[in-house]
This record gives sequence, structure tokens and C-alpha cells, in this order.
Amino acid sequence: MIEIDALTKVYGSAQVRAVDEVSLTVPAGSVFGFLGPNGAGKTTTIKMLAGLLTPTSGQVRLGGFDVTRQRSAAMAQFGAVLEGSRNVYWSLSAWQNLMYFGRLKGMRKARVAERAQDLLTDLGLWERRHDKVGGFSRGMQQKVAIAVALIADPPVVLLDEPTLGLDVEATRTVKNWIAEQARELGTTILLTTHQLDVAEELCDRVAVMRQGRLVADLPTRELLARFRERDRYEIRVEGAAPPGFDAVTREGVTTISVRVSDPSEVYEVVERLRAQGVVLESLTQVQPDLEDVFLALVNEPSHA
Amino acid sequence: MREIVRAEIGKGLRVQLAHPVGHVITLLISTMMYLGLQFVLGQGELRQDLLPQTLVAIGGYWFLQYAGLVMVADLIEEKRAGTFAQSQMSPAPPWLPMLGRLITASIFGLAVAAVAALVPMLVAGITIPFRWAALLPAALLGINALAFTFLLAGLALVSPMIGALQSLFTSLVLLLNGSFLPLNLYPDWLAAAARVLPTTLGIEALTQTLFESRTLTQLWSGGTLPWLLAHTLALTAVAGLLFVRNHRRALESS
Repeated sequence: MIEIDALTKVYGSAQVRAVDEVSLTVPAGSVFGFLGPNGAGKTTTIKMLAGLLTPTSGQVRLGGFDVTRQRSAAMAQFGAVLEGSRNVYWSLSAWQNLMYFGRLKGMRKARVAERAQDLLTDLGLWERRHDKVGGFSRGMQQKVAIAVALIADPPVVLLDEPTLGLDVEATRTVKNWIAEQARELGTTILLTTHQLDVAEELCDRVAVMRQGRLVADLPTRELLARFRERDRYEIRVEGAAPPGFDAVTREGVTTISVRVSDPSEVYEVVERLRAQGVVLESLTQVQPDLEDVFLALVNEPSHA
Repeated sequence: MREIVRAEIGKGLRVQLAHPVGHVITLLISTMMYLGLQFVLGQGELRQDLLPQTLVAIGGYWFLQYAGLVMVADLIEEKRAGTFAQSQMSPAPPWLPMLGRLITASIFGLAVAAVAALVPMLVAGITIPFRWAALLPAALLGINALAFTFLLAGLALVSPMIGALQSLFTSLVLLLNGSFLPLNLYPDWLAAAARVLPTTLGIEALTQTLFESRTLTQLWSGGTLPWLLAHTLALTAVAGLLFVRNHRRALESS
């Protein structure tokens, strides 16, 4: 479980509030999406969570341990793959990396070896365990980094852009793995990503940060439902659209976009189309995806 | 705790041995440079009266230079690559992996100094006598050099200029610690300035026990040993403070 309470980081004499009174709770065994545009304060929050940065005020607790005051116990609860860095030694083999980081977490050599074998087998790297990581593909290197984060079997894992730069197959493997860790093994996963389809697919809950503050923290479905556009419908019809409608035709399929002030008005629109001899194929209420929601949240006028 | 230090040493040694050719080249350059230098200073001959003392001095320099290189280059590379931040997300206190790094650096420093010194000993027939009294000055010389290496590591955590600073200080050490000529051949003012640099006092104490058969009591009453102790303690304290101050800053910028 991750508990963040009124977390604040103020930088320099200019008193820039990179993170401003952020509070959130990530329940055990869930995948939590932590989103935000560049400069929103995500990285600063992550660094405080990882014990790399000391908060100006507020608290971060990992598995019940305060990261600042009980650093050692908190770090024993935690594994991380940080974005934009290698995370592992390229001049060492996958096996050597896992043995090193496992022992750095305070594990016994024999236990690390056992766990490393399981992880490398699961990730399909066992046959290449003695090859230097520098010679691996980007996807394989990322798998090693994830294995390093999980070597001590921590209850809390931070994955910062875990699928960035990966090909489709590697992305799929990593996504499956994240889901499996949370659902089957009960690991709490904090995931940051700019690939919103990944967040939408994996996250039980999503928080969005903007200008150092949280602007949303809701279960993913609820967040999407809140942004469902109750007044917008898309009607697919055969052939061309009659005049007077906002329509787009692509590859022979015409989609008419309709805005109504009351859902009952949809019947009137359908009647008008029928009267003009238009054949309906489908009628759907527009469902936003996480990208629409994200853009709506980060582009909202600031109330600060 | 012991497991963490051992893991750090094992990792450090493996990272260093991943590129063995570089170490062989360094060894060749070190040996050739020393013999060449002594040949020039001896005006076309290797002077047997100077070789043992200068070999001990350059041995100290090699240890300092190589341990420092291993330490600083590793830290800079790890900070750039992100493995430094990853290694800090451990239940271990930050000084523990650093201790492992220092031990790794000293192993490499010692190995290079020993192998590089062996070649001139064989080629030029240099003999260095063994004396029990030399063990303490030798140990203090090593600690003194490592304290300086630790200081460089503290700077490397935050300073982009560390490479230039390291070159400057190690060049001064090479020039003044007795690697060219024994310290007693320097003018007094230069010898006094040289003693401020790392390794010089340690080499002075060591050569006095090895080649002048002085006892530890004589070293103490003569002032070399107390100064060496004070210098080492001061260097260690400054290095420790610098590390504590810069470690947090390094993590914040990682």
C-alpha cells in the first residue's frame, strides 16, 4: 500500500511549489496510473516516493513505513524502474545484475539466486542470463530492469514509463506481466506513462497531476464515466449523409455527429433521417478514452 | 551489512574486469613512464641510489591515481546511466555501498601499483627491504590515499569539473611526492608544500623506515608520524563531510 499525505516540495529561493499538498492512497494489489503532462510534478513526486528527494513537508508511507523517517524499512518494501535511465549495468550479465541488486536489498545469496532464476525464466531470459545486458535489445533490457525491481519480491513497485520505446510484442509482454503481478501476486504498482492506452488497459485507478496538484484521483471507469459526453452521439449510415448534418465519410462509411440538449431529441434526429430515406447502421453515445479525459483535465482553466 | 559490501565489491570488480585491455595499457604506460623518467633524470642511466625510494613514491602515486580513477569514473558513469539512483533505493545506509566502492578502488589501486612496480624491480634489479616497522606507515599511506579518493568521490557526485580537478591534483602528487626525486633533495619550502598533498607524508614515513631503518618511535618523535596521522584524519573528516553534503544533492539531480 502507498500512502501519500499532503506531500509538498518547494524549490529554491523563488519558492517554486513543484508538488503542492498532494494526497493519495494506492490500495494493496492495485495498479495505479499516475499521469500528468511534463512539468506537472510527477517526477518530483516519484523521487520523493523512492526516497531520492526529501519532501519539504508531508509524508510518503510505503507498506506503512515513512520513507523519510524509516527509510531502511520503507526501501525494503519497494522496487522501481525509473524512466530515462538504464537502471541496470550494461557491462554485467542479467544474472550478475540480479545477484547484485538482490544482495543490495539485503537478501541472502542463495535466496537471490532462486528468485533470479524464477524471474529470468518467467521473462524468457534464462537462456541468455550470462550475456551482457549491453548487447540486449531495448525490450530485453527493460525486462531485466523490471526483474531488478522485483528481485526482492517487494509489495510496492514503481514503474516509470515501463513500455516507452518498446515494440508491440515487448509492450504486450510487459503489460501482461504488470497485470499478473498485481492480480495474482498482490503487488501494488504505481505506473506512470504517457501511453494512455497502456494506463487505460492496466490501471484500476488513475490520478492526474497538473501544476504540482492533483486534478483527479478516481477509479479509471468512474473517471471515464464522468467525462462521458451525454449530449453527443454518432450515427453511422449507409451512403452519403443528407444535407444539414455534420457528417464525415471515410472508406465508404458515413458518420453523422449529433449534439442534443436532451437524449429524447435523438429520436427526432433518427426520424428526420428515416424521412429522407437514409438507412441507419448504428447509433452510439460517444465514449471518451483516457486520452480525451487527460486532455480535458490538463487543459482545463486553472483554478489556482 | 557484510553481504552488501561484498556485493558492491563483486560488482565493482566485474565492471572493471569487463574491459581488461584498458588496464593492461595503463600498466604498460605506468611502467614505461617511470623507467623513462628515471632514465632522463639519471642523464642516460638508471641511478641505483635513487630507484628504490622513487619506486616506493611512484607506487603510492599509482595507488592514488588508479583508485581515484576507478572511483570517480564509476560514479560519473553510474550517475549518468541511472544505476547510482537505482543502487540508492536500498535498505542499506548510503555509506555502505560507498565503503564497498572504496574497497574495490583500493583493490584495483593496489593491484596496479604492485604489478607496475614489479616490472622495474625485475628490469632494473631494484630491491626493497622488508621491515615490520614499515607496515604502519604503509597502512597509513593507503588510508591517506583512500581518504583523498573518498574526497574526489564526494566531489564527483556533484561537480562536472571533477575530471579536471582530479588531473590537477594527481599531477601535483606525481610531481611533488617523491616520484621523480626523493623529498630530501627538494628545497625546504617545496618539501613543505609537497607534504600538504596526499601520499607525501606517508611516503616519507615509509621510506624512512625502509631505507633509513628508523623505528616507529623515531618517526613519532621526529614528527613525521603525528603529521601523517593528523593529515589522514583531516582528509577523512573533510571527505566524509563532503560526501554527506553532496550525496543528497546528487540524488536530487539524478
